[in-house]
Amino acid sequence: MSASTSQALDYLEGQTQITHQKLYEQPSTALAVFRCMLPHLAKTIVMAMLYMPRAFTIGDLDHWIRANSKGEREKAISVLQSLHIITHSQESSKSLSYRLESGFANSLRQALTGGGNHKSFGVPSSTPDKNDVDIAFLDQFARKQWEAILYFMVGSTSGLRDSTGLGETVGNGTRKLLEIGDFVTRANHGTITKTGFTFLLQEANAQVWSLLIVYLKQAPELGMNEVDVLSFIFMLGSLSLGQDYSTATLSPTQLQMLEDLNDFGIVYRSSKTSSRFYPTRLATTLTSDAGALQTTSTTFSNALRPSTAPGKGYIIVETNYRIYAYTSSHLQIAVLSLFARLSSRFPNLVSGKLTKDSIQRAIKLGIEARQIIDYLTAHAHPQMQKNNPVLPPTVMDQIRLWEYEGERIEATHGHLMKDFSSEKEYQDTLGYAESLGVLTWKSDQKRVFFVDRLEQISAYLVSKKEKR
Amino acid sequence: MPPKRKAQTQAPSSDEYESDEPPLSDQEDFERLKTKYDVVARVKQERATHVVDAASHLFKKCDQWDADLKPDHASRPIWVDDAGHIIMESFSPAFQDAQAFLIVIAEPQSRVSRIHEYSLTAHSLFAAMSVGLTTEDIIKQLDYYSKTSLPLGVRTFIQESTSSFGKARIVLKDTKYFIESTDPAILQELLRDPVIAECRTSGAEGFVQEAAPKMGNLAIPGTKLAAGANQVAQPGVQRQAEDMLATLREDDDEEEIDRVHSFQIIGEDRERVVKKCREIGTPLTEEYDFSQDNMNSSLEINLKPGTQIRDYQERALNKMFGNGRARSGIIVLPCGAGKTLVGITAACTVQKSTMVLCTSAMSVVQWRAEFIKWSNINPDDIAVFTSESKNKFPRNAGVIISTYTMISSSRNRSYDAEKVMEFIRSREWGLLIADEVHVVPANIFKKVTYSIASHSKLGLTATLLREDDKIDDLNFLIGPKLYEANWQELAEQGHIAKVQCAEVWCQMTPEFYTEYLKASSVQKKGLLSIMNPKKFQNCQYLIDYHEKRGDKIIVFSDNVYALQKYAQKLHKAYIFGDTPQAERLTILENFQHNPEVNTIFLSKIGDTSLDLPEATCLIQISSHYGSRRQEAQRLGRILRAKRRNDEGFNAFFYSLVSKDTVEMYYSSKRQAFLVDQGYAFKVITRLEGLQERSDLAFYTPQDRRELLVDVLMAKDADGEAEHIDGDMFGKYKAGGHKKKPGARRMAGTLSELSGGQDMAYIEYNKSRNKDFKQKGIKNDFIRKLNRGAVNAKKQARNAQ
Repeated sequence: MSASTSQALDYLEGQTQITHQKLYEQPSTALAVFRCMLPHLAKTIVMAMLYMPRAFTIGDLDHWIRANSKGEREKAISVLQSLHIITHSQESSKSLSYRLESGFANSLRQALTGGGNHKSFGVPSSTPDKNDVDIAFLDQFARKQWEAILYFMVGSTSGLRDSTGLGETVGNGTRKLLEIGDFVTRANHGTITKTGFTFLLQEANAQVWSLLIVYLKQAPELGMNEVDVLSFIFMLGSLSLGQDYSTATLSPTQLQMLEDLNDFGIVYRSSKTSSRFYPTRLATTLTSDAGALQTTSTTFSNALRPSTAPGKGYIIVETNYRIYAYTSSHLQIAVLSLFARLSSRFPNLVSGKLTKDSIQRAIKLGIEARQIIDYLTAHAHPQMQKNNPVLPPTVMDQIRLWEYEGERIEATHGHLMKDFSSEKEYQDTLGYAESLGVLTWKSDQKRVFFVDRLEQISAYLVSKKEKR
Repeated sequence: MPPKRKAQTQAPSSDEYESDEPPLSDQEDFERLKTKYDVVARVKQERATHVVDAASHLFKKCDQWDADLKPDHASRPIWVDDAGHIIMESFSPAFQDAQAFLIVIAEPQSRVSRIHEYSLTAHSLFAAMSVGLTTEDIIKQLDYYSKTSLPLGVRTFIQESTSSFGKARIVLKDTKYFIESTDPAILQELLRDPVIAECRTSGAEGFVQEAAPKMGNLAIPGTKLAAGANQVAQPGVQRQAEDMLATLREDDDEEEIDRVHSFQIIGEDRERVVKKCREIGTPLTEEYDFSQDNMNSSLEINLKPGTQIRDYQERALNKMFGNGRARSGIIVLPCGAGKTLVGITAACTVQKSTMVLCTSAMSVVQWRAEFIKWSNINPDDIAVFTSESKNKFPRNAGVIISTYTMISSSRNRSYDAEKVMEFIRSREWGLLIADEVHVVPANIFKKVTYSIASHSKLGLTATLLREDDKIDDLNFLIGPKLYEANWQELAEQGHIAKVQCAEVWCQMTPEFYTEYLKASSVQKKGLLSIMNPKKFQNCQYLIDYHEKRGDKIIVFSDNVYALQKYAQKLHKAYIFGDTPQAERLTILENFQHNPEVNTIFLSKIGDTSLDLPEATCLIQISSHYGSRRQEAQRLGRILRAKRRNDEGFNAFFYSLVSKDTVEMYYSSKRQAFLVDQGYAFKVITRLEGLQERSDLAFYTPQDRRELLVDVLMAKDADGEAEHIDGDMFGKYKAGGHKKKPGARRMAGTLSELSGGQDMAYIEYNKSRNKDFKQKGIKNDFIRKLNRGAVNAKKQARNAQ
C-alpha cells in the first residue's frame, strides 16, 4: 500500500457495513480493495482464508505470525475488520475465530478466476473507433487536464496571467469541487490554502485520490449513488491503458461521472455523446500496487514535465539561498513563485532566491515551512541528491527560523482548572494531570493550572467524589 | 596616564587627512562612463518590446523563455541573459575551461557549490581586453559555452564596450611615453582630438610600427618555467632580435594583426592625455616594458631559491605579465592566501625600484620582514618611510615601504620627512604596490599616484567591495581587476583554512529590551544591544569553550565602550586605537607565544593587515552596520591559521547578534559577500549547556540591573563605533562634521556627586593590559646579563 492511497483507505474505513457489502458485490471493487487498500500481511491473511472452508481460529493465526510482529498483525486485523472483510465469530465455547465476509470472498474469487456475467471490469468496445487515439495522446490529454487544475490552484495566487488559458479550461464543477475540498478559497479571487498546498506537494496519484474523495463526499448532494461512484472508480483502476471501453453497461450515475472525470483528465471521451471512453494513465494507476505505481508515476511525472532531463528532481538550492529550477512549466514556476522571489528565466531554467519576505508571504498563505522544505527536498535536482541532507542545513534552518519569527505566541486550546478548595486537592489533581501529560501551564501561587484535555481529569474528579 | 596622552599627540600628524579636499575634478567623467556602459540601462528599451507570456511578470530581472535552446545544451555550462548576467553549472564537464574564461571576462557574483554566477561589466570586459582577448574571441567563446544563442543585447554590449576599451595603451619605452594600438584607426581617432594632438611630440608624422610583444621567454620567478629560463638568455637580447626581424618585415603587410602602431607623446603631458582619452571614451591601459627600460637602474632582487609560488598566484601573475610587460591592475586574493608574496614576486619580476604602500605602520614592519624572508634582496636596499623612521636606500634602486598617510599627507612635514618625500618624487618607480587597496578613497589614491611616478601599479586586496560604489574608481586609477581567486577552491586545496561560520542569536533580557524600545538615539540602542547580558554570557561561554579546546581566540568589537567592558569583566587583554604601539606589540606577542593568553579583544584596528596565524577562533560582538567588507576582512584573520592543514581542522567564526534588534538586519547584510563565496552561516539560537551554568557573568538580576544602569549612564558617544586609523575612508567621511564635546546636563542627587552614598573605590575590572607591562625578568642572572648589554650599548654610543 502506498501513501497515496492511505487517504482513500481512510475514507473507505469511514463507510458503513451496508456500503461495504454493496461495494463488494462487484468483483472489480473487491480486487481493487484487496490490491491497494490492504497492508501486506492482511493480503496474506485474506489469501489464506479465501479458499478455506472453515473459519480461521485466532489460535491458528497466532501460530502463523511471529510474536515480535504483533503490532503488524493488530494493524492488519483492524483494517480487515473496519473494511468488513472479515468478521468475528464464536465457533465454539472457547475459541474465537475469523470468517471472511462471504460477499467479498465470492467477488474476489470471481475476480481471480474469471467468469461470471458481472461486467465489472468494463466492456471493451466491440467496434473499432474511427478516430482512434494512442497512449501518447492520452498521456498528453491527462497531463493537460490535470495540470490545468493544479495551475488553476496556484495560478491565481501567484498572479500568473491566464493569457495562455491554462487555468481557464477548468470547468465550473471542478472549481466548485476545489473550493469544497478547501483547496482554494473564494477570498481574493481564489487563493490557495494550506490544504491546497499539501495537495500540490503530493505526487500525481495521491492528488487524484484526494480530489476523488472530495468528489465522493460530494456525490450524494449531486444525486449520485455513492456506491456506484466508488465502484466505478475502482473499476477504472482495473482497466487497461489504450483500450476503449463501451459506455453501454454503465449506470446513469456512472455516465454522469464520465463527464466530470473527463474534466479531470482521468478518462477521455471524444465527445459528450460518444459511446466509448478511454481511461488515461491517471485512471489505470489508481489502484495499482506500490511497485507498479512508482514506475508508472515516474513515467507520468516525466510526461508532466517533458522539458526536464530524465530524473525526478529539478531544483537546486544553494547556501546563498539562491534557487535554480530546471523547468519551463508554468505550473512549476507558479508553485515556486509561492515561496521564492524569482528573477530570471531561460528556456530551461528559472532562477530566484529564497528571501525572508518570500518565505513569510508563503507562510501567511498558510503554507508551512515544513511543506516548503519537503517540496524542495522531494524535487531536488540529482546533483543535490548526492548530499545528505539534500538541502543545505543552513537554508533549512533559516526557513524554519523565518517561520518561527512570526510565531512567538503559541496558542493551546484547553481548560483552566481553578478554585481548588485545598492545597492538597490542588496538588493531587495537578499530579494526576502531570502524569497524564496534559498539563501545559501551572501557577502554584494562584492554585490554577491549564490542561489541554479535560475528559480524563473530570472522570478522575468524579470518581474521587464518588469515593468520598 | 601620561604615556597614553603622549602617544595620542604624536599620532595625528600622520594619521589624519584633510577633510576639505576639493571635489574630484574628473568625477563627472567617471559618472559619465559608468552610465554610458551600463548594461541594465541598455536593455531597458529592448525589454519593453519583448514578447511576454503568462508568467513573464514574475521575472522582472530577465525573461528569456523564448530564447533558442541549442540542441546539445546539456553539455554546455552557461546561460547568459540580456543584461550580461551569467549563470554557470559547476557540475558541467566543461566547467573548468568555462570558469577560466569567465574569470577573465566577467565579475564573479557568487561562487558556491553547484551554480556560479558572473556578470559582464564594462570593467570586466576592459580587463579582458587588456589581457589580450579580442572582441571576436569573447563573443565566440561566450557563445560556445552558452546553452542558448547569445542575446543580441549582450553581443552589442560586448562589441561596443570593447571597441573603445583597452584598444589603446600607454607604454613607457626608454622612459618615453607612447600611445600604442594594434589598430591605426584608433590612434587617428585619438589624434583628431586637439588636446591629444597638442601633446604629441612634434616632428613625427605617421605611426611607428613594430611587432606586437609576446610572452617571449620572460619567466616569473618562483614558477617552474623560471628555473631554466634565467640562464638561457637575457630577455632584452631576445626582444631586440625580434624587433629587428620586425623592421625587416616592415614592408610585407601579411601579418597586420601582430603589428602594433604607436605615436609618442610628451612625457610631461602624460596626465593630460590619459585624462582626455578617458573623457572621449578610450581609456588607456598602462603597460610597462620593464625589460627594455635601460634608463632606470635595475634592482638586485630575486626570490630565494626553493621558493615556489602556488598555482593560483602564478595564474594571477601571468595575467599581469602576460605579454612580457607589466600591466597595471588589481589582484584579488582572500586574506591569508599570500598577497604579500604575490607583491614580492611581482617586484622580483620587474626588478626595478619598487614602492610599497600599506595601511598602517604595523603592516609596514610586516612587509619588510616578508621581503627579507622571501627574496635575496640586501636588507639595506629596503627603506622604511613612516612617522618613526625615515630612510632612503643607498644605491640607485631599492624598495621603499610606506603608508598611504605618509605619502598623501598635505600637512607640514618634518625636515626628514620632506627630504624623503622629495627623494620619492624625484625618482621614477618601476612598480607601485598598493596593499589593501579597497580602503583607500579615490582622492587619496590620486594624490599618491600623482606624487609617485610609477611605470606600473599593482593593487592587492581581499575584498574589492565597498558599501558605496567607490570601487569603480579604482578601475581608472590603478587598472582593471586582473584576477580574483575562488575562496572555496583555495580552502579545498588547503591554502586557506576551512571555516565554520555561525550566527548566534542572543535573546535580549526583558529589562534591556524595554530600554531598547524606549531609547531615543541610535547610539543608545546600539549600545544596549551590544551590552545585552545574554550576549555577554554567550560570549563568555564561547570563549570558555574554545579556550578549553586549545583555540586562540580573537574577539572583535567596533564599539570601544563595549570592548573595554567586556575585556575588563572577563579579564582579557584588549587593543584599540588609543593603545600605545609598544603595548600593542607586547600584547600581540603574548597572544602568539604565551600559552596563558589565549584570548584578545580587538577593536576595528584589528580588521586588516594584522597577521596572527595562531588565531583559530573569532567572535564578533559588535560591528560596523552592514559592511560586507568588514565581515570578510575579519574572517580573513583566521583564514591563515597555522593549523589549517591538520586533519579535520576547522576555524570558527561566530557573530553574536541580539535578537529583535537592528543587529539582526545588519547581520544578514554583512554576510551577503561571504555567503556568495560559498560560506554557510549556521544560526544558533541556543548554546548547549548555557542555561545550566551559574558561573557566568551577570547571572543574578542584581548584576544585570547594575549593568543596565551603567549602560544608560553611558554617553551617546560611547555607542558610536571607533573612529580611527585603518578605515581611511570612514575617517574621511566623518571628518566633515565632527561633534564638539559639550557639557551635559543630567539629573542626579547631591549625595551622588559628593560620594555621600555608601560607595567605596575598589578596582574590580582591572585591565589585563597592565599585567604584561609589570612582568620583568625574574631570573637574577638574566637580568644582570641584560643590564650588561644595555651598558655596553651606552658605552658604544658615548664612544661615538
